[in-house]
Amino acid sequence: MVGGYAPATLEKALRIRAEETVVPYAGGTDLMVQNRKNVEYLFLNKIAELKQIKVDKDYIHIGALVTFTQAINDDKVPQIMKDAISKIAAPAIRNAGTFGGNLGNGSDKADSVLIEFAVDAKVRLMSLKGERIVNVEDFCITRRKIDLKDDELIVEVLLPNKPYKNYIYQKVGGRNSLAISHVAFAGLFEEKDGKIQEFSAAFIADAGRFLRFKDIEQTLIGKSKKEAKNLKDKVIKAYSDKIVLTAGRVSAEYRKTVSLNLLRDFLTWFGV
Amino acid sequence: MDNISKSVRKKDHEPKISGESIYVGDYQCAKDGSAILTGKILHSKIARARVLSVEVPDLPKGYFYVNAADVPGENKVNIVLDDTPVYCKDTVEYIGEPIGMVVGPDKEEVERILSQIKVEFEELEPQLDVRSSQKVFFDYEFSHGDIEKAFKEADKIYEEEFETGYQEQAYIEPQGMMAEPEKDGKMYVHGSMQCAYYVHGAIMRVLGCKPDEIHVFQDVTGGGFGGKEAFPSVLGSQVAVAAYKAKAPVRCVFDRREDMEYTSKRHPSICRYKAAIKNGKVTALDCDIVFNAGAYSTLSAVVLQRGIIAAPGVYNIPNIHVHGKAVKTNTSPCGAYRGFGAPQTFFAIEMMMDHIAQDLGVDTLEFKEAHLVKQGDMTSTCGKYHFPVPLPDMINEIDKVCDFRRKHKEYAAPQSGRYRKGIGMSLVFHGAGFTGSGERDIIKAVAKLRKYKDGSVEILASNGEIGQGVRTTFPKIVANELNLPFDKVYYNHPDTERVPDSGPTVASRSLMIVGELLRRAAIKLRSVWIDGKEQEVEEHFKEPDFMIPFYIDKFQGDAYPTYAWSVNAIEVELDTLTGVSKILGAYGSFDVGTPIDYNIVLGQMEGGFLQGIGYSSIEKMDYDSKGRIRNNSFTDYLVPTTKDVPNMVAMLHVEKYPNGPYGAKGAGELPLVGAPGAYVEAVEQALGGAKIHPLSHVPFTPDDTIAQLNRHREEI
Repeated sequence: MVGGYAPATLEKALRIRAEETVVPYAGGTDLMVQNRKNVEYLFLNKIAELKQIKVDKDYIHIGALVTFTQAINDDKVPQIMKDAISKIAAPAIRNAGTFGGNLGNGSDKADSVLIEFAVDAKVRLMSLKGERIVNVEDFCITRRKIDLKDDELIVEVLLPNKPYKNYIYQKVGGRNSLAISHVAFAGLFEEKDGKIQEFSAAFIADAGRFLRFKDIEQTLIGKSKKEAKNLKDKVIKAYSDKIVLTAGRVSAEYRKTVSLNLLRDFLTWFGV
Repeated sequence: MDNISKSVRKKDHEPKISGESIYVGDYQCAKDGSAILTGKILHSKIARARVLSVEVPDLPKGYFYVNAADVPGENKVNIVLDDTPVYCKDTVEYIGEPIGMVVGPDKEEVERILSQIKVEFEELEPQLDVRSSQKVFFDYEFSHGDIEKAFKEADKIYEEEFETGYQEQAYIEPQGMMAEPEKDGKMYVHGSMQCAYYVHGAIMRVLGCKPDEIHVFQDVTGGGFGGKEAFPSVLGSQVAVAAYKAKAPVRCVFDRREDMEYTSKRHPSICRYKAAIKNGKVTALDCDIVFNAGAYSTLSAVVLQRGIIAAPGVYNIPNIHVHGKAVKTNTSPCGAYRGFGAPQTFFAIEMMMDHIAQDLGVDTLEFKEAHLVKQGDMTSTCGKYHFPVPLPDMINEIDKVCDFRRKHKEYAAPQSGRYRKGIGMSLVFHGAGFTGSGERDIIKAVAKLRKYKDGSVEILASNGEIGQGVRTTFPKIVANELNLPFDKVYYNHPDTERVPDSGPTVASRSLMIVGELLRRAAIKLRSVWIDGKEQEVEEHFKEPDFMIPFYIDKFQGDAYPTYAWSVNAIEVELDTLTGVSKILGAYGSFDVGTPIDYNIVLGQMEGGFLQGIGYSSIEKMDYDSKGRIRNNSFTDYLVPTTKDVPNMVAMLHVEKYPNGPYGAKGAGELPLVGAPGAYVEAVEQALGGAKIHPLSHVPFTPDDTIAQLNRHREEI
């Protein structure tokens, strides 16, 4: 039997979450497929405060129950995120699927989460005891493992509020719709006064987790493009050494080659 | 367009769209109102083993365990041969083989019991490698001309091997069958199927009963594509034995994983082709073809026959030798899938011709055109192409719609940059109807028309509606001949108690063969028509006079009365960074004779073409070192969506067949057959051509493209 709660406020939802054993239901596009037996769901879709997109000085706040369709149609959401979420599944699933669900599902191939990795997003969590704000890379531990306590709910995603002018996003799935990413790449690049100010590269590669190597990124920060160019092969080699993949739906050789191809293309695109 | 081709609303449109149609899984109770027991199969988890013991827990009242010991007749499911057991004998031969069935009122309790059954196996070494398999189910050979002389005199000899993989039918409705013991002692079996009389014949043997002691009804069926040609005979036998034991209705509907892993799929193949060239033309072809049949022979004989007959493709090659084998491996038995052995060999010959042309430095299309068969030419089996071969016109039609010749030459020049383009073309036929003398000697189709007092006419035939439209096209033909309104003629799903055996729903035969029987029956009825009287007329199949008799032992004669033809072009843009080949356009000209309903035929052409593109590009399925198929869900086995081929152009070229109704010939399978050749040629051209990247297998995935590029990178 499937039972459930459909609270209208976050406070009520947090109380149920604290008192009962429930599975948070934030769109259900995966949960419906899983069709688990004997579970009680906590339906979050009636909670208006989780469906808002707001901007303040530091962050773009995307509520956990904001659907991908809603975000695609909202001017406050940066284009890099729109590029990624508009390639999720198909319209019907984008109408139901949410940011909180994509995170809470714990997949290492969640398209919105890749962007959150690339932009150093944070996740705001709440329980009756209070709130925690954690970095997305700390929240997503490995496949199916997230830093969410039994009494907590994901409340919103915080994207740093900045222009996101220079970026590249590429998704490679098994087909053009309803496809899980075999490889996806998100990269950010900013230059100031002839020096690289920001360089970020995040990958989905069926690696058990999202891949981003900040130590390698640091080797290019502060460098001129010319200096970076000289380092290019070394940087790609460093990624190559770090991207260690095991067997998956498509071959490890494929995923690694494509990841490195997209990285090289990204660097070339921005003149490195 | 002929009047008969004008589209009507399909008879099954309304109930299917509204959700009123009852599929086998939808019944709430049996026909007599009694509760339906759920059956779940105990599948082998090991590819090859002796079954030492099966320990079944104590069963609650009303629950049963059914196995081979419960089979009242013979523990053999008749398909072509009788080697498939209803439930396993002493050994299991593949992962998934049914050992028994647990039956009972509550599905969850049935599953609980199933999970507690302990099977003790003595594992045996499975045969998983096709190449080293010594167990040959079927072995055929034929030749004409003087192959040795041609190879001796050749300027050049080419030899190459081609491989194709599994393909899963991926019908929307999985396999499902139900059996109900009736009060008068008859067994009533119904479910999702293509061939009611195949199921009828198989279950008679299994129950050891007379023809009139059972009857089989085709429920509304959610797609077949060949996958429901033979398998329902197996599952139908299993539920019939279970219902016989339980003395109650039993239904077994597969879940998707069971269906994808354990039911029949397209045969993987290895084709080794050797060609002799003299003065720039292929003078001889030697083909060695191996199909992976899986653990039991099922339909492999006939799939292989169709495959090897098509071995030289649409080309007139004076000297040929073809050797085909279907070999056993300890894997799920393969079976029928739209195209039935032909997509495998057409892929081989199309790529072979393509590679030879490129090596000779001539345009691949021009090379193919120089070898095309034409009316009056001899077929691979010394039969005759009795009717015009419209390929040259169809090539021009395709060229016009996609500028093939210009693009093909342009893309052959060296390309650079991230994105590269390629275009490929394949030329194929599909022999219409059963292979050889099957229609005359085995099927002997009979069809009837029954006119009621109110002037309405019912069609009595055994061909099942599986989405291809026979419930609509048959009545169109009959209404047309009788000059009746379309709604006065109807065709229900067949029940073997009510309808004659007009043969199975296979081989692109229903419309051409049975449709023509019905047309003749309608003419007969018209001539004896008396208002207000109930009347019945019957027609029997007659082989057309022009046929050169076919001898299966020698593979000689007309394998088919006529052929459906297709020309397919596919244009791709290959991303060298990701290996993904985006399909810029897929263009098909299809000659299936007169379309009996334009929309239905066009739907068939588009759907089949897309299935073929899936087979060529992304539909990858394989078994691991234990013989287990891992791609058993729609997450791990992708079929294409409309977004993968947004620009598809399907056109009809009509070359009428005088012995089909109003000129119609076989349609269902044709559109799938040519896709692999066209797709892989296109990808190969985008990669820089066969001299650098000779491609030789399907599916050819982005993974394969990147592997090719990596290999080449290492070489240079």
